[in-house]
Amino acid sequence: MSLILLSVFLPTVSGILLVVSSFWEHLKAGTATEKRKKGILKRLHLYVGIILIFTALLALAAAWTGEREITLFYLMKDIPIYFKVDNLGRFFVTFVSIVWVLAGIYSFTYMKHEREEKRFFGCYLLVYGILIALDFSGNLVTFYLFYELMTLASVPLVMHSGMRESIMAGLKYLFYSMCGAYMGLFGIFFLYRYCDTLSFVEGGSLNAALVSGNEKLLMIAVFSMLIGFGAKAGMFPLHAWLPTAHPVAPSPASAVLSGVIVKSGVLAMIRVVFYVAGAEFVRGTWIQTAWMILSLITVFMGSMLAYREKVFKKRLAYSTVSQVSYILFGLSLLQPQAMTGALLHTVFHAFIKCGLFLTAGIFIFCCGKNRVEELKGIGRKMPKTLWCFTFASLALIGIPPASGFVSKWHLAQGALGAPVGILRYIGPAVLLVSALLTAGYLLPIVMNGFFPGTDFDEKKAGNAELKEAPAGMLIPLMILAGLSLLLGIFPSPLTEFVSRIAETLM
Amino acid sequence: MNSVIMPIVILLPIFCGALVPVLPFKSRRQMEFYIETAVILNSVLVVCMLFHRPDEVFTMFRLTGNLSISFRLDDLGTVFAAIVSLLWPLASLYAFEYMQHEGHEKVFFMFYTMTYGITLGIALSDDILTMYCFYEMLTLITLPLIMHTLSRNAILASRTYLYYSLGGAAFAFIGMIFILIYGDNSQFIPGGVLNLVKIGNKGNTLLLVYVLCFMGFSVKTAMWPFGAWLPKAGVAPTPVTALLHAVAVVKAGAFAVIRVTYYSFGTEFLKGTWAQNVLMVFVIFTIVYGCSRALKETHFKRRLAYSTMSNLSYILFGVVLMSPAGLVGALSHMIFHAVMKISSFFCAGAVICKTEKNYIHELDGLGRKMPVVFTVFTISGLALMGVPGLPGFISKWNLAKAAVLDGGTLAVIGMGALLVSALLTAIYMMTISVRAFFPGKNFNYQKLEGVKEPGIQMLFPLLVFVAAMFVFGLHSQPVISALTDLAAFVK
Repeated sequence: MSLILLSVFLPTVSGILLVVSSFWEHLKAGTATEKRKKGILKRLHLYVGIILIFTALLALAAAWTGEREITLFYLMKDIPIYFKVDNLGRFFVTFVSIVWVLAGIYSFTYMKHEREEKRFFGCYLLVYGILIALDFSGNLVTFYLFYELMTLASVPLVMHSGMRESIMAGLKYLFYSMCGAYMGLFGIFFLYRYCDTLSFVEGGSLNAALVSGNEKLLMIAVFSMLIGFGAKAGMFPLHAWLPTAHPVAPSPASAVLSGVIVKSGVLAMIRVVFYVAGAEFVRGTWIQTAWMILSLITVFMGSMLAYREKVFKKRLAYSTVSQVSYILFGLSLLQPQAMTGALLHTVFHAFIKCGLFLTAGIFIFCCGKNRVEELKGIGRKMPKTLWCFTFASLALIGIPPASGFVSKWHLAQGALGAPVGILRYIGPAVLLVSALLTAGYLLPIVMNGFFPGTDFDEKKAGNAELKEAPAGMLIPLMILAGLSLLLGIFPSPLTEFVSRIAETLM
Repeated sequence: MNSVIMPIVILLPIFCGALVPVLPFKSRRQMEFYIETAVILNSVLVVCMLFHRPDEVFTMFRLTGNLSISFRLDDLGTVFAAIVSLLWPLASLYAFEYMQHEGHEKVFFMFYTMTYGITLGIALSDDILTMYCFYEMLTLITLPLIMHTLSRNAILASRTYLYYSLGGAAFAFIGMIFILIYGDNSQFIPGGVLNLVKIGNKGNTLLLVYVLCFMGFSVKTAMWPFGAWLPKAGVAPTPVTALLHAVAVVKAGAFAVIRVTYYSFGTEFLKGTWAQNVLMVFVIFTIVYGCSRALKETHFKRRLAYSTMSNLSYILFGVVLMSPAGLVGALSHMIFHAVMKISSFFCAGAVICKTEKNYIHELDGLGRKMPVVFTVFTISGLALMGVPGLPGFISKWNLAKAAVLDGGTLAVIGMGALLVSALLTAIYMMTISVRAFFPGKNFNYQKLEGVKEPGIQMLFPLLVFVAAMFVFGLHSQPVISALTDLAAFVK
């Protein structure tokens, strides 16, 4: 059996089995004893851990051992479900796997203080399988199929705690995503008619003869796709779900939602613009201008909102809104260097934001603190955690030599070199201001954490009993923080790889 | 196969049904066995007939002149007869368990089984007069089914249904008369029977008549503003709402509309006229209107009824596009919607039957007690939303393809309406699933003590429908190819 299919089916099937068995458990609820429950939990963790690591290995093997493609079956005569491994897919699948495994290991410890672990891990594995399929999708319909499934399978993660707030947030997430997906589908219907094929072709596959005379209609279609898929990436105007939905999920879920799942919106935009419609079709039109402006608005707005927000995880979610639009701005310039920066920022942001959310999770897990001002003096008791947070923050702000600097450098360089009129100056300026704001909303946490001031009373703050986080949570966090530093110090192999992708697309 | 098979499959269920109250059954089991055998036997006959189609026309009797009651099986009739005959045995099976909690079963099953024959009569009609007769009979025979509980609401609902349907049929009658006068004959012939020489300069009058006739028949498909009867009729027992008000009766309306559009008036005469545009506006409006009302509705079955209203207008949208692709889209949605909606109604029925809960806000936490029912409901909800891999996506794809090929402004707006409606569908279906599976953290499950999954007679049809949804959703090409061949005559 093909490696691609194996790496998709293994996590999906085992995830579904877990969800079904959680239903089963409810039907005969209350029969298990405490001791037996513990045994079940241990076996569950073992099972999930093995599947996660196996899947990651399979996915990486499928990605990096040569060219692969497979047509699974035909949905209709002209719509195959088709997978193909290309460089962009390789790139995405690699960082998705790293983040997914690390956050998975973290959640073994973290989920002890939530309920319904079976359902959680079931959905967790299911979404992983779907994401692998999404990254390997070879045509637009296959992509759309897994895009929708990803939304549906990740809704239970958001709703997990069962609080009214999180259920409402989950519904909001679902409806925004569906709205976005249907706007995307609107575009797909048109592209199906005006493209030679819906398969992803570098440089696009619009049929010039069919297009001529219908440019206006087609542009509306492409723009509607950008807005629609932008919903997942948290782009203005369909961004509002993100700061509601990400923080209410259990922390490891927020980490992967914010670090990885938003990136599938980015992937969708890359696929539509560079692999179906073609960069040339968009270049210099009102779509490009609108896209740039929307992403810049989002960058600025996200940072501002994050700056004012006092709830820790909400602040991080607003920060995601802003940071993902860095990536979108980089893409909208349609310029190779900017795109290199965008792709670099995709992977850096995945590691950084995942790390930041895991820190937030540690604070909630160890001392139940979820507001920023409560974190005063926490660095004295949990120095390792806070150091990891510090590294990740520095990387996100873009202070050299941490990773964020590299991507932002390429973004700014690309913007200055792109023929986009006045926006080539406004763009970098907005990025700069937003970087300042990023420093403004992340660094005070570090400072207050390490230097609470002389009149700080540990007992009063409830810090007296605090201990460093358990190793099961700390190690994944350290790895992520380390990655966000190291990739900034040794960026060249990665940069070369992504700039090759960018070059072939323009 | 000999053409005498056609009246047999129509009359067999009518006779068997009529015998239900008089036969001396010793027990429930016997009655169930008798009915199920009769229905399955008839379905087997129908399926055999569909595979070995009789070629000739079978004339029952002549009324006067060249007016006759006669039957013929063509491609379109095959599609409708196949839907009906495959769903009926399953729905009857479901009804056995469900009707235990309603009572008066003998009367119910008499009319329920007779309806089967009449619906087949519509599918097999050779000309517009035969179809009209069966169409009226369908209204009358289903009336007692809506009235079944004999509560005040039920009687009011059946009255509304009667008025709307008879009114609609009157308009359809006008259409029929004009066809008889201005057509070469009254048979259904692909491409239409209108004689342009006879029409002369009365083109506009005929278009007006077409619009009236379309609207008359579309009363049964609950097109706005003639749809008010459908949500009201939700008081009927669930097997009726599921099979008749989501499939047999409402789709008989859609079927009749397809017949008059493509087989009597003919698209050559209609395409590009004001009549097409006017109807398109009505249809597009209904698509959005039905969904919005469904969103507002808090009664479980009524919400599904409004959803049916909107989904039937998907079919009509395909019909009024008047192109081969449009007809393919319409027919594929006719088939797929049947499966999707009947299974969601059956889930609603299972809940009502086991817990007596009728409103959506009462459904909290039921997903944990009835996981199979609510999983099936979620899957059919996803299918209605048009998630790829399930049949709703296929029919939506075909409808949208037809709209893009048409390229007109109204067609593109219609496609937009399909997507808006898909979003609304997501909202009104998924809120139910979320309620059932996520009742909130402090939900007291003790309140649901004793709630259990329904028995096998109800679960089996549900599982069959889920299987059918996945098969259609993943491998629809045979169906779509067959429909494409069917629609090839449209110019």
